[in-house]
Amino acid sequence: MIFRRSVYPVNRTLLTVDRFTMYTDCAFRVMNLGIIDYVEALGLQKSIVADIAAGRTPHTVITCQHLPVITLPPRAKNENILVSREELKRLGIRVFPTDRGGEVTYHGPGQLLFYSLFDLRQDEKDLHLYLRKLEQVAISALRDNFGLNAYRKEDLTGVWIGPYKVASIGIRVKNWVAYHGFSLNVEVEKKYFSTIRPCGMDIPMASINDFFSDAVSLETVRDMLISSFADVFQMRPKLTEHSERKFFIGRFDP
Amino acid sequence: MVKVYLPELGENITKATVSYWYAEEGATVVEGSDLVELATDKAAFNVPAPCSGTLVEILAHEGESIEVGAVLGLIEEDTVSPEAEDEKEEV
Repeated sequence: MIFRRSVYPVNRTLLTVDRFTMYTDCAFRVMNLGIIDYVEALGLQKSIVADIAAGRTPHTVITCQHLPVITLPPRAKNENILVSREELKRLGIRVFPTDRGGEVTYHGPGQLLFYSLFDLRQDEKDLHLYLRKLEQVAISALRDNFGLNAYRKEDLTGVWIGPYKVASIGIRVKNWVAYHGFSLNVEVEKKYFSTIRPCGMDIPMASINDFFSDAVSLETVRDMLISSFADVFQMRPKLTEHSERKFFIGRFDP
Repeated sequence: MVKVYLPELGENITKATVSYWYAEEGATVVEGSDLVELATDKAAFNVPAPCSGTLVEILAHEGESIEVGAVLGLIEEDTVSPEAEDEKEEV
């Protein structure tokens, strides 16, 4: 595994908050929540999804980080958690059931959650096309801004760099309003990856900072993703007044 | 009897897998409420009850892979609306 080498051309153009204020027509709103509990974030998503379904609020993107948590969707296999309950407790990892698609997933510090709460009735009612678009948001952001050779694999939803998976995708759609989204590993401590079999398979995971000599900040990646989302979905973002809690990156001491 | 179909989910999606039912056979269901949860690739989604009534039969069981357009279950539709029932009780 090649880490900490500047073998990739890097163009880290920072999308500043000022750029958002240039947009006057709000097609989707952005809530940057910093660190938020998984269950709290899920409750917030469901509340917003109900508002979107009722036409009371536009498409919404929530970005955040979670404290260490393993989430289990319906029909996920417990054997894909590879460590004991005691070890999970020692590592400070909690386990929660969730309602998204996919298999067992780890979330934690250094990983950017990009929740897309999206009314598919206003786009194309196509679940797989929507998944491909979410992949493209991450792929374009990583390729265009960081020069990383990010790509998708056929029949393996997610975003990859070389043999490594760097982003995991899972959504739920309720009455054609989608929520959840993807998690992008920016700088995740590797010991956490080994606690699960991601997607129920033996997939090597990596963070994008593994491919740089100088770490990129989570805020920078976040802003690139928001810009990329706007491009892929042909909409304009607007930050909400609830945004901009503090982000931190990596290194969590339970 | 009202048939509950697996709807179109997008181009090139031919199948989905039943995750779980929100109601058991014989249970009363309300139009628009979650009836059955399914998944395809990394997307989970709900199929709501198309009408109020009694879930008479589940044809697609948990874990089964179902073709788009197939019948998931059967609902015996209420002949009296829930609102009318409420009014009757109030009298």
